[in-house]
Amino acid sequence: MSEIEKIIKGCLAGNRRDQELLYRRHAAKLYAVCLQYSGNNEEARDILQEGFIKIFENLNHYKHEGSFEGWMRRITVNTALEKFRRRHSLYRVDDIDLIPEPDADPDNQDYAGLEAADLLEIIRELPPKYKVVFNLYAIEGYSHKEIGKMVNISEGTSKSNLFRARVILQRRVGSYTGIKKRIANG
Amino acid sequence: MDERGANIDLVFRNGLKDFEVLPPPEVWDNIHPVIKRKQRPFILIRAAALITLVISISFLTYRLSREKLPGPDNTVIALNEEAASPSISSSIDKPITFAAEGNKLLKNPSKTLAENIPDKAIEPENKMTSSPDVAYLQETKSLSMNKAKPLYEPPLASLNSSRKNTFKIKEPDEQFLPWNSTIKGTGRWSIAAMASPTYYSKFNSDNSEISKQLMASEQPLISYSGGVAFSYKINKRFSIQSGLYYSSLGQKVEGINSFGGFQKYENTKGDHNFEVLTTNGSVYTNNADVFLIATGPGERILTSYTSDVFDPEKASLQYINNTLRQFFSYVELPIVLRYKVVDKAIDINLIGGVSYNLLVNNSVYTMVDGGKYPIGTTKGLNPVSLSSSLGMGMEYNLSDNLSLNLEPTFRYYLNPFNEVTGSKIHPYSFGIFSGVSYKF
Repeated sequence: MSEIEKIIKGCLAGNRRDQELLYRRHAAKLYAVCLQYSGNNEEARDILQEGFIKIFENLNHYKHEGSFEGWMRRITVNTALEKFRRRHSLYRVDDIDLIPEPDADPDNQDYAGLEAADLLEIIRELPPKYKVVFNLYAIEGYSHKEIGKMVNISEGTSKSNLFRARVILQRRVGSYTGIKKRIANG
Repeated sequence: MDERGANIDLVFRNGLKDFEVLPPPEVWDNIHPVIKRKQRPFILIRAAALITLVISISFLTYRLSREKLPGPDNTVIALNEEAASPSISSSIDKPITFAAEGNKLLKNPSKTLAENIPDKAIEPENKMTSSPDVAYLQETKSLSMNKAKPLYEPPLASLNSSRKNTFKIKEPDEQFLPWNSTIKGTGRWSIAAMASPTYYSKFNSDNSEISKQLMASEQPLISYSGGVAFSYKINKRFSIQSGLYYSSLGQKVEGINSFGGFQKYENTKGDHNFEVLTTNGSVYTNNADVFLIATGPGERILTSYTSDVFDPEKASLQYINNTLRQFFSYVELPIVLRYKVVDKAIDINLIGGVSYNLLVNNSVYTMVDGGKYPIGTTKGLNPVSLSSSLGMGMEYNLSDNLSLNLEPTFRYYLNPFNEVTGSKIHPYSFGIFSGVSYKF
């Protein structure tokens, strides 16, 4: 029996030590996922909390097929999507015009030098609908058809949101890269 | 744009792959109480299911055993069908006398039996009706005379006086009357008072170093258990038992030096000064005058008064002992099923069941000059624990009602005493209960 299987077994038996061990091992990675989908840290904490409660509640349904981490990630993403769907009507995505003009040419960008924390920061600044579609498509690897069903939008809207998300991201990445270069050059 | 789009996708996918951000510590603090709360009903459901199972098996056994019994109906039916014939006889061996008549009796229920029975219809019998026979008659009637209803109940006085006008029937073979044969004239209920010294220890499936160290420093203490039990005999073999027991379990925690006289140095206003790790949870001191220091390896004591801060010998504190004694007391509500394997001069029973144990007291002390010196209590103990028990009972019948009992019993605690430790340590105890029981 692998170590993770032992921990899962302990969690199922209600062993607090194993439950805490499972949390400590995976919380940081899943919190990063939560931050990708959330607008602020408080929301990310809520997603992580709800996600882990679901993970513990559904551990008996895990069939030990495929990656356990992947299984936990899917639960976390689904929790984030539930939150997104609940707040769907509150989000406005027609604020694309408010996005500042890029200070770098998107067609000629150098993405080098960007750290994961920068990328996370950039992604979190996206309008919620674009952010969700971009995360599901580019990071999680879902198709537009699947995303449409998950977020209750049409396939076309999903494609359109992805396009817009990419445009914004390219501009933002350009801005970050430019700023970083200027800082580096003094 | 598509190519650039795919490029930007890769930047984010690769850049955020395996990225980790430590969540705030309060997240786990919010998660754990929720999952703990949700697990509790599951434990209760399991306990309820176990109890239901024991009761169901008992009831089923009772019903099956009753259905298999050929009751004395045949005898009575024959009695009514052949009431007009001068003699009634069945395949029953032992003769007893019985005064009755068939349908005519129903028409004149106010008359005595002797008055109602015509002489010609009855074979004269010179045998006097004995009282045991009447007892049997009454029982037989109440059990199985449904087909003959309404049936006149003969007054006992007239029954006894009717020496001549009696039918001759035979008593059913005892093997077909287990109610009479097995209970042997005593009741189904019994009350027993039992007590036992108990040896308490625990199984440890946790291989961590700290767990091993804690186990190595703890030694079981002989404690005691006792109480009153009621049992109901379902049939010849099975009986179900419940009652109220009090039990005390204890262990020695070695390698902890206790000193007295610390109060004058203690300036903080905290709830406790020392926290001692044990396999049953943390012991918190509530005696402000005690100072504790661990002598063995490992960090067993959590305190701000570490050895580099305070030296009890330099402060001239009075050394008391190097061992703590940790005790828990429970009131137990058992549900036990007993199966009689041997039914001879000394009966042997198999005993199994479950018990709800309600924590009523927990204390930690050390010994000084033969007396107890209080240290504190163990925190975070489960107020209710569930244990299963298995044993073998020997019962020596002193008389029809009174018997001596001896029951070696093994008890396994299904949940650890303390959940906070996330323990894989399950306590168990062994005791040889002895006592007397009285049937009524």
